[in-house]
Amino acid sequence: MASILLMVALGLAIIYGAMGVINLAHGEFVMLGAYSAWLLQTYFGFSILVSLPLVFLMVALAGLAVERGVVRWLYHRPLDTILATWGIGIVLQQLVRMGVGSDSRYVGRPTILDGNVAIGGVVMSNYRIFLIFFSIAVLAGTWYLLTRTEFGTKLRAVIQNKEISECYGIRAEHVYALTFAYGAGLAGIAGALVTPLISVTPSMGTYLVVDAFLVVIVGGVGSLLGTAVASGLVGEATAFFSFLFNDTLGRVAVLLSIILLIRFRPQGLFPDKVRR
Amino acid sequence: MNRSFAFDCIGYGLFAVLILLVVPWALDFDGFELNTFARYLALGMVAMALALSWGCAGILNLGQAATFGIGAYVMAMHLKLRASENMPGGMPDFMGWTNVESLPWFWEPFHSLSITIAAGFLIPALVAAVMGTFMFRGRITGVFVAIITLAFLVAIQLVFIEEQRYTGGQNGLTGLAPLQLFGWTADNYSLDFYYFVAGCLIVALMLGIGLVRSKVGLVLRAIKEDPDRVRFFGYDVARYETLAFCASAAIAGWAGMLYVLVLEFASPTYMGVSFSLAIVIWCAVGGRESLVAAAMGGIIVNMLEGRLSDVFVDGWTLFLGAAFILVVLLMPRGLFGLFQMALARTQVLCRGMRGDSGVLGKSTTAIVTHTHDDGRR
Repeated sequence: MASILLMVALGLAIIYGAMGVINLAHGEFVMLGAYSAWLLQTYFGFSILVSLPLVFLMVALAGLAVERGVVRWLYHRPLDTILATWGIGIVLQQLVRMGVGSDSRYVGRPTILDGNVAIGGVVMSNYRIFLIFFSIAVLAGTWYLLTRTEFGTKLRAVIQNKEISECYGIRAEHVYALTFAYGAGLAGIAGALVTPLISVTPSMGTYLVVDAFLVVIVGGVGSLLGTAVASGLVGEATAFFSFLFNDTLGRVAVLLSIILLIRFRPQGLFPDKVRR
Repeated sequence: MNRSFAFDCIGYGLFAVLILLVVPWALDFDGFELNTFARYLALGMVAMALALSWGCAGILNLGQAATFGIGAYVMAMHLKLRASENMPGGMPDFMGWTNVESLPWFWEPFHSLSITIAAGFLIPALVAAVMGTFMFRGRITGVFVAIITLAFLVAIQLVFIEEQRYTGGQNGLTGLAPLQLFGWTADNYSLDFYYFVAGCLIVALMLGIGLVRSKVGLVLRAIKEDPDRVRFFGYDVARYETLAFCASAAIAGWAGMLYVLVLEFASPTYMGVSFSLAIVIWCAVGGRESLVAAAMGGIIVNMLEGRLSDVFVDGWTLFLGAAFILVVLLMPRGLFGLFQMALARTQVLCRGMRGDSGVLGKSTTAIVTHTHDDGRR
């Protein structure tokens, strides 16, 4: 689960870090990704692995539409983005509910990843191991995109100083739109990959987004490494506290520790060192 | 200042007349309809409580439902005990199912109505005081306040669901007795009861405006504009923020108590994330800068929700979400902002047209204002 959380949080971290937009519709992008995977598998017979690029594109397009339609008007009012994206979330959920129905759907896992592996006495399914490696690959890919490509350079320039970057001929609007789409696409992939583990319902994203957001804050805004470590940490801490008490109290304990952490280190565990 | 005060007074007067006289008359004094509307009033009260902290002091509390839910459970615990007086040991039925042997100590005080009512205000306020001191002493602001309150809300809801032996878990507290206040039994489908809820809302609004209009309210508005500058003037910003937070929580607890009386049950969904964000939505739709506008926002959105869900059983959340996006995009200050803008326009135009024939001038101004608004959209 921690690796799914990582991918969800990564998209959210990029959107929040780059634009200061608190995207509460992010959970709905995850949900859209899950439904796209279901759609592709049921009607075209694609395995999840084959459909990943398509899912990424579909959800990224949805994200692009949301950014162009709503979010771009709100860059100067960050708190209002919470409200607007929540509204978008409601609309997306309802559209899916009306289009596909509210029953839960199931997606089969890819057959090549069936079976289990025993590592040092711990039995793990191949699929989960694949998830872990895949999420690390996504992290590496995102890091590469942000630090080694022209787009990444532009994005970091815009994050640091939007006006001056625009003076140098960077179209900040385009950078923002693409970033939002990329973040949404990552959420879509996470949604597609989570389908074999949990059932797909229109409201599946709601709880995920709160968790993912906490991860972003804990990790430190704008820090990829922080997000990665924090998602592992939150996943592990949940497991640990659940082992000590029980599932619910475990989650409560994690939430309370996160509250304490935000109170004493609002900049997160690994604050961005970039001057703003 | 005085002028806006008069403006406020007119607004409050109109609101009081509306909910005390017009609504019961329009609803034909029908018990069921009145009960439904009393529910909207209780929800309007939470929206107003949020406006007190968000609109006035600029603290966006995404966990308002937590204090609302605590108030609701406090009242429900009292009514549940009343209802279980004939049970063995006076224990609520669900405790029997989950093998609780004797009434837990923290249920004991709720035998008394006065303690219950006091607790309904004080426990939410106390929780808010702890949270507020904790957050504002650390100079946590803006988004981080929103996240902390949201995380806190999720934690509280989980605890209430988990401790099924003491709180009824997912089912909440059902099968409650009617409230008995000074020999008056609250029948939640009666006109008396409607007036009781409406009266509470008006009193809460008056207390709220008392706070906003006082010097404390002025300092709070200053904090919203620029906390650092207020701090340099020597005010204890954290203390003022905590105060606003507590007042807001106490009123939310009050609204929670009323809500339980209206619906006759308490459920953990009152502390849900979606309910809490819905409160923020009502407040934003109505206009967070004015308490009465926020209350109206709560009432209007819930009325629409009720009507639309009758007409379009499935699609109404679609309308709700879309309407909400439009409100945020086009009227960041809510209906109240729109209303104020229209009023300002009318005044300017009136001044310009003074000397023209009165009646004609007035009607054209109204039309011009309307077209201007359309142009904005």
